Amino acid sequence: MGLSGDQDSPGSKLNLHLNHTHKDSAPATTSEVVATVLSLLEDGQMKPAQFARLQIHLDWLQYKHNFREAVTVMQGGEEQGEGAAPMEIRIDSRQVAPGSLRALLQNAMHPAKPDEDTGRIYFEGFRSFRTSIVWEFNRLYWQRLKDWEKATGKSYEQALPGGKSDGNQAQGVAEAAADFWTLLKDLESQNRLPQEVFILEIGVGLGKHAGLWLDRFCALDQGRGTNFYPRLRYLLGDYSLATLEHCRPAVKNHLDLCSFIALDAMDPIKTLSFLRHKVLHVHSTNMYDNLPDEEVVWRDSRIFWVQSRAYLPPGDAARISKACDVAVADIPTIVDRLLDVGIAALPDRAKGMIFWMEVWNAMRTEEKLVDAVDMPDASFPAGLSSAHMEDILRTAPNDLRFHLSPGALESFRNTLPLLHPRGYLQVQDIFATDLQDYSMGFHGPGKLDGSIVNWVNGALLREVAERAGYDLHFAPFKYRPGSKTSVLYTTRRE
Amino acid sequence: MTLPILPTTMVGSYSMPGWLERLKTDYFARRISRHDLDEIHDAAVRSAIKDQEMAGLDIVTDGELRRDNMIDYFVERLPGIQIDRSSKKFYYDFYDSEVLGKIPMAAVGLVEDFRFLLANTERAAKICITGPHSLCKRVRNKHYPSEEALATDIARVMNMELKELVKAGAKYIQIDEPYYSGFPEDINWGVKVLNILVEGVQAKIAVHICYGNRYGKPSWEGSYRYLFPAILDAKVNSLSLEFARRGGEDLDLFREFKVPFELGAGVIDVKDNSVETPDIVAERIRKTMKAVPAEKLYVLPDCGLFHLPRDIAFAKLRAMVEGARIVRKELGK
Repeated sequence: MGLSGDQDSPGSKLNLHLNHTHKDSAPATTSEVVATVLSLLEDGQMKPAQFARLQIHLDWLQYKHNFREAVTVMQGGEEQGEGAAPMEIRIDSRQVAPGSLRALLQNAMHPAKPDEDTGRIYFEGFRSFRTSIVWEFNRLYWQRLKDWEKATGKSYEQALPGGKSDGNQAQGVAEAAADFWTLLKDLESQNRLPQEVFILEIGVGLGKHAGLWLDRFCALDQGRGTNFYPRLRYLLGDYSLATLEHCRPAVKNHLDLCSFIALDAMDPIKTLSFLRHKVLHVHSTNMYDNLPDEEVVWRDSRIFWVQSRAYLPPGDAARISKACDVAVADIPTIVDRLLDVGIAALPDRAKGMIFWMEVWNAMRTEEKLVDAVDMPDASFPAGLSSAHMEDILRTAPNDLRFHLSPGALESFRNTLPLLHPRGYLQVQDIFATDLQDYSMGFHGPGKLDGSIVNWVNGALLREVAERAGYDLHFAPFKYRPGSKTSVLYTTRRE
Repeated sequence: MTLPILPTTMVGSYSMPGWLERLKTDYFARRISRHDLDEIHDAAVRSAIKDQEMAGLDIVTDGELRRDNMIDYFVERLPGIQIDRSSKKFYYDFYDSEVLGKIPMAAVGLVEDFRFLLANTERAAKICITGPHSLCKRVRNKHYPSEEALATDIARVMNMELKELVKAGAKYIQIDEPYYSGFPEDINWGVKVLNILVEGVQAKIAVHICYGNRYGKPSWEGSYRYLFPAILDAKVNSLSLEFARRGGEDLDLFREFKVPFELGAGVIDVKDNSVETPDIVAERIRKTMKAVPAEKLYVLPDCGLFHLPRDIAFAKLRAMVEGARIVRKELGK
């Protein structure tokens, strides 16, 4: 939504941009936001120059649990006047108590001075989000999933939007197995079917997808009498040894064909270099969205890096201190220990668990924009040069904040060399398939149970893929109504 | 010019610099002129020649840096082939091209490239061209009754061009036919048109057959067994095959079929950025010598170095040259 109007001051054209409004977003409705901002301007609490380049993102948070305050203000760069970057105000109306919007806006517009004690407990200095401590918490969740599941009384799959992983949807798996059978049949007809048929799954969860896929393929193969099944070599790859152990029962009927391999999802070729150009199918579900990410802003033909720092709000710090019998000042040290040894960080493991959950739930991030010219050492993910990015952004909308998805890009680039000339990669995940998508709303990061949930920049993946010799296609996941998942698959680029 | 035993050379292309890729794409986007691009190409080719000389290669090429890819450079020069110039966004993409009538006999215009190469090196020089079988696979045939008929006419035109190249001083000519591996069922007619292409061409002719290198990855997998016995009828001096990435199993075919040709053995994996040591290269050459005597061997990378970063491409060439020197020393040459 866009509003514009002439202000009294001569030559001042005011643009107020509101987006992603939600009909149930009381009390911070659009009209209330507009009225509040105008009153701040009239009261002299907002400068006309700020107002002239103001952007408000209302209801910009998609996830109920996230890393933001109810109202945040971000100003890019130090320049004032004509050259000033727009001020951004982001409002999560779900967190705004009735009647509090004006005070929250005033507060957010007058941030604390660098040496002022706000009572916030900071865990790090400003940095790229991809190196933030929040990803350490994400790692902790997957490595110590059992502790979390025991404490919450539900499995991680039950915490997913559909109550189970889209990767385990029976019809979807059956069709995927049938597609693969068709490929093998085609290769056989050309006398090009390899003796050993390698399939790789990265990020195996409980092994249900692998079990279902193998059950289905085996049945199909037997039914059609093709005898491909014994040639399969199904590799289950995950960075967690515990996960690899847990998934064995799900593939118990196919253990002769399965290998369980500890690998780094961001660098599969490093572990599997002996399978370069040999793997006919690579699959993963909900893995890319859980790899480290960072964001950039494209504004007025300039690139800004988004830097963030994680903290605990003072009220939450005090509450956690009381609940877990720890001094507020000791919280950062105990967090370090938690990330190292898990809930044994506190003598009472039950309190250790509470500490983990409470800190995670309360954790927020502050953000600032840094002009790319001030960060000459910052680089785009491998596969995306600055010149390449300029080409991509040449046709992108202005004032665009988007994910760089460096973790996903790295994983993608380091998986492609494994593919057999006729092999393909299939990834089920939440993708922004066009850069324009980022103009339409917020795409993470948010919190899903103890992990991070974040959309993946499919548009950048497509660019990297093209230069690597693949076309990328995204299809909606059609097997669960309302699913936001897409299926990425590769085809060879001629 | 006398070559040493185990002469070293490239398959054809050298590392394509990122800046040159962008400038080529700028040209297609009409952001720079043809004249500017030609000058840029001249500078890039001189640099590629210099790198090969510094690496110590015995036979050098122009690095094929003027070419967008192995197809378009030829189809846009072949008379009678229609090209949709709006059909590519990135310079490396293939044009959509089609043939609507009989291809007339006319010059293709490769002689200038070769003269430029000769003018910029004192080493032995090689020119590489894409063969008619591979070219016809990328051109939509709307005139000829068969692919073989189209390839035959392409071969006739290119034959005339090869003869012009010989007149200009070309002594080493390489024909690239990677699509043989993608369409092994074509091999009999593929060799027939190859022979039309090289008919009467007085130069040392090699035919390079790999498993594809588009975007630095193989396009097909399999074994060179499909080449035999048809390839034995080819009127060429040597075969250039890839063995570094795929291993040397297919070397047995040379013994099994008593292959009369020289062999350009691929001893550098061009699809992997890790640089081989000279010892690894030497070992690969020794292994090849169990199937083909040293006197009949050329030492090459598996394919073009087009997709490798320049520093890696250069280091690989250096390792290849050093590896060849190790074996020459063992042979007392």
